[in-house]
Amino acid sequence: MTSAVGPGTGTSNGGNREGQVFDLGYRRYDGPREGRNRARLAVYTDGLRISLGLGRGGRAKILPWLFVGIAVGIGLIFALIAGTVDRVAGEGIAEAADLPSHSDYYTATGILLFLFAAVVGPELLCPDRHNGIINLYLVRPISSIDYVIARFLAFLTVMLVVVWLPQIVLLIGLAFSASQPGDYLVDHWEDIPKFLAAGAAIAVYTTSVGLAVAAFTTRRGYASVGLVGLFLISQFAAGVLGETVTGTAGEWLGLISLSDPPLHINELVFNVEDSLNAGYAARDLPTAIRILAFFVLTAVPIGILLARYRRLSV
Amino acid sequence: MEALLRAEKLTKHYGPVLALDNAHFEVVEGVTGLLGSNGAGKSTAIKLFLGLISPTSGSMHVLGVDASRAIEVRSRLGYMPEHDCLPGNVSAAEFLTHMAQVSGIPPSQARSRAADTLRHVGLFEERYRPIGGYSTGMKQRVKLAQALVHDPALILLDEPTAGLDPGGREEMLDLVRKTHTDFGISLMLSSHLMGDVERTCDRIIVLEDGHVVQQGDVTGFTEEIETVFVEVEERREEFMAALKARGINAEDQGTAVIIPEATEETYDEITAALVEAQAPLRRLGPRRHALSEIFDDVPAQQPVAQETAE
Repeated sequence: MTSAVGPGTGTSNGGNREGQVFDLGYRRYDGPREGRNRARLAVYTDGLRISLGLGRGGRAKILPWLFVGIAVGIGLIFALIAGTVDRVAGEGIAEAADLPSHSDYYTATGILLFLFAAVVGPELLCPDRHNGIINLYLVRPISSIDYVIARFLAFLTVMLVVVWLPQIVLLIGLAFSASQPGDYLVDHWEDIPKFLAAGAAIAVYTTSVGLAVAAFTTRRGYASVGLVGLFLISQFAAGVLGETVTGTAGEWLGLISLSDPPLHINELVFNVEDSLNAGYAARDLPTAIRILAFFVLTAVPIGILLARYRRLSV
Repeated sequence: MEALLRAEKLTKHYGPVLALDNAHFEVVEGVTGLLGSNGAGKSTAIKLFLGLISPTSGSMHVLGVDASRAIEVRSRLGYMPEHDCLPGNVSAAEFLTHMAQVSGIPPSQARSRAADTLRHVGLFEERYRPIGGYSTGMKQRVKLAQALVHDPALILLDEPTAGLDPGGREEMLDLVRKTHTDFGISLMLSSHLMGDVERTCDRIIVLEDGHVVQQGDVTGFTEEIETVFVEVEERREEFMAALKARGINAEDQGTAVIIPEATEETYDEITAALVEAQAPLRRLGPRRHALSEIFDDVPAQQPVAQETAE
C-alpha cells in the first residue's frame, strides 16, 4: 500500500509494502496470505503467550511465573547446598554424602510440576470454548485438529522449559561450585541426557493428561480441580491397594497411580528408587512394562483429546 | 455475476428436526439480508456455508469452492457469530492482531491491519483496553472487526444487531452498509427484523421453517408487502365501506384498519375514502412489519421462491 492510498481506494500496482503509513483507516489488503501454516503457527504462539500470561493483565502472570520461580528456586537451592558442603567440608564430599542432585530434582518437585500443568494447562483450551472464541478459530483456515495440536505443542514447549530450566541452573551451579568447572562437566556429562529424558517424560505426560481433562469442561477451575483430584485419588487408591493386594496383581495395581508414570522413567533413567509418590509395588514389574505403561498412559489422553476435538460441535 | 454463495437442494436435519429443507439460493455481490424468525434456519445456513456443520444432503459452494472441504477458502471469509466470542483479559488490538494471523496474515501486516480495522469500527482510542471492560455495543464492534481484519471477500454476520439499543443498532447497520460501499466487501447478514434488512441490504432471502419462501431485490420485496395502517376516531364502518367502493382491499382490526399491498395511488384513495366517510383521522402510516406478520400474508413454500432460485 502506498501513502497515496486513502480509505476505500484499493491499489493494484503498488508492490512497495515497506512504506509505513499511519492514520489511514481501513483498506483492502493485497499482501501475502499464508493460510493454514500461518494459522497453526499463530495458535501455537498464542498458546505460549497464554501459558505465561503475556499480553494479558498482571493477574494472569502471577501463577505461571510463581511456579517457574519456585521450580528454578529449588534447583538453585540444590546447587547452593552442594556447593556449600563442598566448600565447607571439602571437594567431593557432597557427592559422597548423596546430597540432592539431578536424580532427586523431579522427586522433590514432581507434585509442583503436576500442579503447574493442572493450573496452567486448561487455560489453553477451556476459555476458548467457554467464551465461544473457538467459533472464530473454526471459521478460519484451520481445522479443530490443527488447533488442538498447536495448543498441545505450545503447552509441551512451556512444560519442557519449566522442567529443564531448573536442571540446567542446577548443572551450572554444581559446575561452578566445583574447583574445576570444566572437569566437573566432563565427569558428569551423562547427567545431561538423563535429566533431559526424565524431564521430557514429565513434560509430555503432564501436557497430555492436563489437556485431555481440560477437553471435558469449559471451566478452567473445574479442570484444575479435576486434575488434582485425579492425581490424589489415584495415588490414594494405589497406596491402599498396594498394601492389601500382594503378588503380581498388587504390582500391576501400582500402575494406577496417575502421578507416577513419568517418575518411573526418572527412576529408570537415574537408576534410583525414591521418586514414586504411591505406586511403589509397580517397581517390581519388569522395566519394559514400566516404560510401556508410561507410553500407554501418555498416549491414551492424547487420543481422548484428539477425539474430543474432532467431534467438536459448535 | 459469479455467485459468492450458492446453495443447491440444501437440506439439514438435526435428528428429527428439519432445519433447512431443500433450500436453493444464491448470494451475489452486495449486501444480502437473510430474514427469518427464530428457528427459521438462518444460523444453520450460515454455519453450513462456513463448513462448521455438514449438510444432510445437497451442496453449497463458497467463492466457487465446495464449502464442506474448503479450509483454505476461509482465508477470504469473515464470520461474526451471534453469541459471545471474545476473550475478557486481552486488548482489542492484541486480539485482532492474533485473529488476523489465524486468517493467514503475516505478523508484520497483522498489527497495522488490526489498528486500521479498529479505527473503521470506531474503537481506535479504546484499543489497548481489555475487552472485558467494553460495553455490549463496543463488543459487537470488536466482533465485526475480527470478521473484517483479514480483508475477506465475503462476511457472514449472524444477527449483528442482537442485544443492541436503537442507537447501537443504527451504528452497526451503518457500519455494515459502509463496509460495502466504501470497500466493496460483500456481506450477508441474518436478522429477524424487516426494518434492519430493508435499510441495509440490496437483496433479501426470506427463510421460514427451513424453506426459502422468497428472494430478490429489497426494493421489489418491500413494495410488494407494504402495508398501510389507518386509525380513525369514529365512523370506521363508513370508512371501510368507502374503501370497498374504491376496490381497495382492507381489513378491520378493531382499533385500526390495515390495508395490505399499498402503492402510492392507494394513499390517494385512502384520503378520498376518509373524506367521503367523514371519518376523523387519528393516525395513518406505513406499517413496519414484524416478520411474523409478513409470514401471515406470505404462504409458506411459495412457488415463486423455487423459480427465482433456479
